[in-house]
Amino acid sequence: MDRVDQILVSGVAFGKNSLGLILRPYETYRRIVDRGSVVELLPIGLLLAGYFALASLVKEDTLRPFLLTRQFMVLVGTAGVSFFLVSATLWTVGTIVGGKGTFSRFVLAWGYTMLPTIAWFLMTSILYLILPPPRTTRTLGVAFSMLYLVISATILFWKILLGYLSLRFGLRLDLGKIVVVAIVAAPIFALYSFAMYKLGVFKVPFL
Amino acid sequence: MKTKTYARFVKRWEEVTDLPPQTLGPLTRPYKKLTKRLKVMPWPWLVGISLIGVIGLYMILGSAITFLVTLLQRGF
Repeated sequence: MDRVDQILVSGVAFGKNSLGLILRPYETYRRIVDRGSVVELLPIGLLLAGYFALASLVKEDTLRPFLLTRQFMVLVGTAGVSFFLVSATLWTVGTIVGGKGTFSRFVLAWGYTMLPTIAWFLMTSILYLILPPPRTTRTLGVAFSMLYLVISATILFWKILLGYLSLRFGLRLDLGKIVVVAIVAAPIFALYSFAMYKLGVFKVPFL
Repeated sequence: MKTKTYARFVKRWEEVTDLPPQTLGPLTRPYKKLTKRLKVMPWPWLVGISLIGVIGLYMILGSAITFLVTLLQRGF
């Protein structure tokens, strides 16, 4: 199969897996880890680049070609570093507690957990344009706030679910060891997120 | 006798048994009941839990919930 065929097949697999993650996450993750290809990270990378292009357009008020803005390059670079830092940390801690599997499969599995992250950030960016903050304490303000928080919490639980499944299938860990990995990795991610906040790159962790 | 159906069955069997089942001692049964809901179409449960959490947050914070949302909306 040549490169173009591989990319096309991975694109179709990405679409199928993305739908599966919404409807049947458990089986879809089993399929991703068993039969997925790292080329499927390409559509995820393109989605991320698309989101960062939109975010740069919203954040920067200039007419420069936005792909060349400092904002876009910083976001793309930092997101790439974050992704590999998180994957490597979870992989390292996971293998120390007895996890088994290959790093490439685990990176693919973790890559699909970026879908809820992109969904939330995209929703927030679009709402920033349509209904910019601050929110008022009037009835409509409180109602919208509650709706926004319900959607955000749902996406967060979806992310946690996908994260759990990537550790379960990517590293063959059981619940107890997944909890241990989460407890060990959480302070590292918290420190990294704080550093990103102080540098003004990501105010909300882009993990 | 090896038929295509049997070969597919064996492949699926190996796929499923490759990962040892999750056990939590006496908590295994409630755990299996909970995860059964999350394996297929988990959205009603995810939305339900989020709604309960947000209502609880509103009861604690009151209209200060709008301040939290203002912070989150600026967080991208």
